[in-house]
Amino acid sequence: MKETGIIKTEALTKYYNRGKANEVLALRDVTMDIRRGDFTVLKGPSGSGKTTLLSLIGCMTRPTSGTLFVEGRDISHLPERFLTDIRRKTFGFIFQQFHLIHGMNVLQNVMMPLYPTDIRISDLRSRAEAILEGLGMSKRRDFPVQGLSGGEQQRTAIARALINDPDIILADEPTAHLDTALSDEFMAIMRDFRQKGKTVIIASHDPLVYEKEYIDLLVEMRDGQIRNLCCNSPDR
Amino acid sequence: MSADKHINILDFTIQSLLRRKFKNAGIILVFSFVIFIAGSILFLSYSFKREAVLILKDAPELIVQRTLAGRHELIPEKYAEIIARFPGVSDVSPRYWGYYYDSLVKANYTVISADRSLQTSNRLFRGQMPGEGDFGNAAIGRGIARARFIDIGDDVSLIAADGKVMDFRIAGIFESESELLTSDLIVMSRQDLSRLFGFPGGVATDLSVSVSNETEAPVIARKIRDRFPDTRPILRSEILRTYDAVFGWRSGLILTLFAGAMIAFIILAWDKATGLSAEEKKEIGILKAIGWETSDILEIKFWEGLVISLTSFLTGIILAYLHVYFLGASLFAPALKGWSVIYPEFRLAPFINMYQIATLMSLTVIPYIASTIIPSWKASITDPDEVVRG
Amino acid sequence: MRRSSFFFLYVFFCLLVIGAIVFWSEREGSRFIAKSPDLQEITAVLRLTDISFSHDARYTRHPSQADLFSAFQDYPGSIDHFPSGSVTAPPDFSLLSTRITVRKR
Ligand SMILES: Nc1ncnc2c1ncn2[C@@H]1O[C@H](COP(=O)(O)OP(=O)(O)OP(=O)(O)O)[C@@H](O)[C@H]1O
Ligand SMILES: [Mg+2]
Repeated sequence: MKETGIIKTEALTKYYNRGKANEVLALRDVTMDIRRGDFTVLKGPSGSGKTTLLSLIGCMTRPTSGTLFVEGRDISHLPERFLTDIRRKTFGFIFQQFHLIHGMNVLQNVMMPLYPTDIRISDLRSRAEAILEGLGMSKRRDFPVQGLSGGEQQRTAIARALINDPDIILADEPTAHLDTALSDEFMAIMRDFRQKGKTVIIASHDPLVYEKEYIDLLVEMRDGQIRNLCCNSPDR
Repeated sequence: MSADKHINILDFTIQSLLRRKFKNAGIILVFSFVIFIAGSILFLSYSFKREAVLILKDAPELIVQRTLAGRHELIPEKYAEIIARFPGVSDVSPRYWGYYYDSLVKANYTVISADRSLQTSNRLFRGQMPGEGDFGNAAIGRGIARARFIDIGDDVSLIAADGKVMDFRIAGIFESESELLTSDLIVMSRQDLSRLFGFPGGVATDLSVSVSNETEAPVIARKIRDRFPDTRPILRSEILRTYDAVFGWRSGLILTLFAGAMIAFIILAWDKATGLSAEEKKEIGILKAIGWETSDILEIKFWEGLVISLTSFLTGIILAYLHVYFLGASLFAPALKGWSVIYPEFRLAPFINMYQIATLMSLTVIPYIASTIIPSWKASITDPDEVVRG
Repeated sequence: MRRSSFFFLYVFFCLLVIGAIVFWSEREGSRFIAKSPDLQEITAVLRLTDISFSHDARYTRHPSQADLFSAFQDYPGSIDHFPSGSVTAPPDFSLLSTRITVRKR
């Protein structure tokens, strides 16, 4: 049996503002295959379509044409309800700007993705506390997020991405606001996830990210196209 | 099916509202105040109308006034004999009454004569009602008793039309529970009243007409006007309608006084309804990106509207009730009653019109919820990828 | 305690108060109705037409019986009595169906 990738794209194309004067072709004919447990980095200059590809993979927007399979399921034409469901069950997002909700404390931010589910709030709370513990954030649990340092905000964001125990972790320019030490720390956490069998996909043009030797798949992008696919894993 | 999800969302919503404590507390305050005003007016005017209708149920069906040069004038008693012969008229009695201005306490009394006595079982009257030829006795209302510091057995002197002092012994007094009807009354015999006011012989203040069939009252009123063009018949139904109009007017007046609060509230709601702040839009995007559905987002907004509007409504309506029925509507009393020396002291009977309250609720709570949900509709259906790129 | 519980508790508390209010209103309302025959007897015996509500001026005492234009009645310097004087509507005569006919000579 041929093992299909956890993420598979076929001629994925994305236009913004299709048919208008400000039409942009952000992604053109992207075909690739990411296997379960891969550590993938999308690399490329600004405007090359990394974020666009990441949000397509993460089911946050739909492709203009082409197909996208997530865990073997064609999701390009699913209605928005199902996309949300997949987002909630399969993906954990770490955004470039962290996108934490201000005015709420760390714990509440971490618990947030699972509020609209039937989980018991006490279960949710203990799960969030365990994750924060694992990231060394327990002492910041009740701090309002806007008062945290950049690294702490990011760890809060990571914890939030993990609350639903996702198979795939997506991170967009995660090191953009971090110094070298914190960036390395972040990469170490990500590496840990891969060790646990999770699929990690990071979009970045930071050498601290894409020069790591443990990367399985490096996708080089330019002008919305894949220029180079470079595999580290021996069996590919 | 479990409600956990909805409770969780509600939890989140309240947490989110608490972030803008002062703004949301301000909205609840203004909202409660608006409900309080509107509720007070509804309670007040409805209770008054109900009480007035009940109290005046057995008022004369028809009053015939005479007018002279457009002013109220004493009516010859012989009109009564003629009107009594009209078909459908069962009884015509002249009423003798007038106003007495007491310069001592600067108050107006209503002086009235009785030709019958109350049943002894009437719990709202104590003592003796001065009847025909009962000279020198009077029965008074509580308002006068308070203003003049007098009670049963005391004497009161009034100055007659000819300038002479007339002394009356207080033989009866109306109990305070009847104050809404009797507060300023002085009842005396017809003979004393005629002397006090200097009535010429053979005239009364007006005529009270009873009809055998109330539906015919308008017809009889027209006949009276045809026969006596100088009269003005007043129907009981019109009296009750006058009260409707009076309280309608005054409620409107109070509403006008508080129009500022209403407008402030409408502006507030409008401000919310016409657009989300960039921050709110961003938050909606974040929630969607981390896996909230459109319907979950709308549910937050529903809860948000419900929490604020229901809290305000319940608070406002309860305060309105306490204000009207326990504090005597002290905030509105000046605008409703006007200035007066002998205020009737009464506690309104709490008649509540549930239909009005339900209407008030549906006119405030539902639009408020709608105005929180509708503007976030658009933000909640757009793709969350805008947020991803920050 | 959960925050939502505070909300439900408050709503529940308000509903309790409203329940008490409704109960109290029923009782007081029926007490008033119970005493209203006595009031109605006073109205009937004295042939009263108005409730004793505003006596700030004599023309406001019996709004249903007032002259149509009677401000400044009490003494020349008296201001019109607000609000009872200014917003008292005269009775509506439409029920009388009085017809005004203009006859040509
Ligand atoms: N919502 C949008 N509307 C119009 N054009 C867009 C939109 N989002 C992205 N684009 C355009 O699509 C192209 C790809 O953008 P994208 O954000 O994917 O690049 P990127 O590789 O992530 O760049 P960066 O490194 O700066 O984040 C860019 O030219 C960008 O201007
Ligand atoms: Mg980008």
